[in-house]
Amino acid sequence: MLRTEGVTIKFGGLTAVNNVSVHIQKKKITGLIGPNGAGKTTFFNCISGVYVPNSGHVIFDGKNIEGKRGWQINQLGIARTYQVINLFWKMTVLENVMVGMHSRLKSGFWSDIFRTPAQRAEERRAIEKAYEWLDFVGLKDNANDPAGSLPYGGQRRLEIVRGLASDPKLLLLDEPAAGMNTKEKGELDVTLHQILEKGVTILMIEHDMKLVMGVCDYIYVLEHGQLLAEGLPDEVQNNPEVVKAYLGGDDE
Amino acid sequence: MKSKTLDSKKLIALIVGAVVLLALPLVLPNYALLILSFWELYIIAVSGLDLVFGYCGQISLGHAAFYAIGAYGSGMLHEYCGIPVFFTMIIAAFISAAIGALIAYPSSKLVFHFLSLASQAFGEIVYLLISHSPGKITGNYQGFFSDYINLFGYELDSYTSFYYFGLVCVIVFLVIKTFMVKSKTGRAFTAIRENTHAADGMGINVRKYKVIAFSVSAFYTAYAGAMYLHLTKFINPDTFMLKQSVMFLTMLLFGGSGCLLGPVMGSFVVLLVNEVLRALQDYQMFVYGILLLVVVVAMPGGLYGEIMRLVNFIKGKATQKAEVK
Ligand SMILES: Nc1ncnc2c1ncn2[C@@H]1O[C@H](COP(=O)(O)OP(=O)(O)O)[C@@H](O)[C@H]1O
Ligand SMILES: [Mg+2]
Repeated sequence: MLRTEGVTIKFGGLTAVNNVSVHIQKKKITGLIGPNGAGKTTFFNCISGVYVPNSGHVIFDGKNIEGKRGWQINQLGIARTYQVINLFWKMTVLENVMVGMHSRLKSGFWSDIFRTPAQRAEERRAIEKAYEWLDFVGLKDNANDPAGSLPYGGQRRLEIVRGLASDPKLLLLDEPAAGMNTKEKGELDVTLHQILEKGVTILMIEHDMKLVMGVCDYIYVLEHGQLLAEGLPDEVQNNPEVVKAYLGGDDE
Repeated sequence: MKSKTLDSKKLIALIVGAVVLLALPLVLPNYALLILSFWELYIIAVSGLDLVFGYCGQISLGHAAFYAIGAYGSGMLHEYCGIPVFFTMIIAAFISAAIGALIAYPSSKLVFHFLSLASQAFGEIVYLLISHSPGKITGNYQGFFSDYINLFGYELDSYTSFYYFGLVCVIVFLVIKTFMVKSKTGRAFTAIRENTHAADGMGINVRKYKVIAFSVSAFYTAYAGAMYLHLTKFINPDTFMLKQSVMFLTMLLFGGSGCLLGPVMGSFVVLLVNEVLRALQDYQMFVYGILLLVVVVAMPGGLYGEIMRLVNFIKGKATQKAEVK
C-alpha cells in the first residue's frame, strides 16, 4: 500500500527525519510512536506533500509520490488529520465534511455557477453522505453549528470524518486521542476498527500506549528522526531499547 | 408546517420588494434614479470584490484597474471596432477576467501585505496606461466619450431605462454569486480563507481557486465599470485612481464581507455619504478612513453583521421568554 525508502529531511542543521523506511500493510492499523520531537509529524508531512523529502522515496500504490503537492496526494487517496486541530472554524460542521469531499465531487466552475441539474443532484447526494459521516462519529446534531463551537473531542472526531469524506485508501492520524478523556478514547478505539472495516488503511501517531497497543497491528518507533524499532505490539513493548528511549526521554 | 409558513412569508416579502423596486421610477425624481443606478453598479463591483476578499480571504487594492478595464475596454471596442454597446460590456468583462487570471497566477503565492502592494501597483500601471495612452486612444486626461447602452435597437437613454436594466443585471450577478458560494467552488474559496494549509490537505488546488476567485471578481468589477461609462457617457482617469479601490473596499467592509447583503448595504451607505459630503470631495480618503475606523472599532461584521446580531439577539430573547412560560 504505502512504502517509504530512506526518507530524509533536514531543516538547516537539524535532520528531522533520517533515512526512514516503512512498509504500511493494506487494511491494517499501523502505529508510529516515539518521544516528542522525534520527527513523527514531520514524517507525516513528507508523506502528505507538505514537505518534499531531501532524499528517499514515498511509494503509494506502486507510484512515486514524493514531490507531489498536498492536494494531489489527497486526490490519489491519502487523507490526514492534524496534531494541531486545523478545522475551517467559521464554516459549519457539515461544510467542513463537504470540503473534505472536494476531491470526489465532479462539478466544476461552470456547472457550479449555473447550478446545472447534474450539479444539484451531486450536491444533494453530497449533503446526504456528509450527514452519514457525521452520524458515524455522533456529530449529526451539530451539523449546522460552526466548527469552532464544538467541544475538543468533537473537533478531533470532525477532523477524522473530514479526512474520511474524501474516501481515502489510507488515513493518516496525527495524535487523534490527544486531549480526549478516557471515555472518548474508548469510543475512538471502536471508531478506528469501524474505519478499518470500511476498507481504509490507517497509519496513526499516538502517545496513548494503551490505545496504541490495543488497536495497532504493527508499530514503528522513531527517535531523533531515526527508526529505533519495529514489530508487533508485544515485541515493541518489550524491546529494551524502546523502554530505554521512553524512560530516558521523559518521566511519563 | 413551520418551513411552509416561513416560505410564504418570504414569498410575500419578495413580491412586495419586487413591486417597490419596479415602481420606484414612477415616484422618484430623475436625480434619485441616477443615484440608484450608481448603487446598482456599485453593488456589482463590490460583490465581485467580496468574492476575492470576503470569501477567499485575499486583499486587493487594485480593483479600480478592473473597473477601468471594463469602462475603457467597452468604450474603445465600441468606438474603434463598432461593436454594439451591450456586447462590448460583456467582451470587456471577459478581457478583464483574463487579465485578472494572469495577474493572480503569479501573485497567488503572496501573503496578505505583499498582495496588497502588488495589487496597488497593478492599479497604478493601469492608471498610467489610461492617462498616458499611445496615440491618445483613451483620450488621456481629456477623458473619453461614449454612447448609451443599446439593447437590440432599444437605446437606454433615460435614467429610468438604465435603472431597470441595472436591476436585471444586479439580480443576475447576485444569483450567480449565490450559486457560486453555495457550491464546491465557494466552499473551496472559504476553506482557503479559513485555513490555506488544511485546504491543500483536503485536495483543494489552492492556486487554481485563488485564480478563479480573482478572475470572476475582475469580471464583476469590469462589468460595473462598463455600466458606469454607459450611464454617464463620459469617463476620465480621475475615476480610476487608488481612491476608487479604497472606496470599493470601504463599501465592502462597512456593509459586511462574505455575505450577499453586505455589499448591497455598504455600497448604498457609502454612496449616500459621498453624495451628502460632496463639498468635501477633496477629503474623500479621510471620510473612508473614518468609516473603516468605525468598522474596525465598533462593528467588525459590518452593517450586515451588526443587524444579524441584533436579529439573533431579539430572537434569542423571544425563545428565552417562550421557554420561561
Ligand atoms: N518547519 C520546520 N522547520 C524547522 N524545524 C522543524 C520544522 N518542523 C519540525 N521541525 C523540527 O523537527 C523536529 C521534529 O518535529 P516533529 O516532527 O514535530 O516531532 P514529533 O511530531 O515527533 O513530536 C523538531 O525538533 C522540530 O523542532
Ligand atoms: Mg507531532
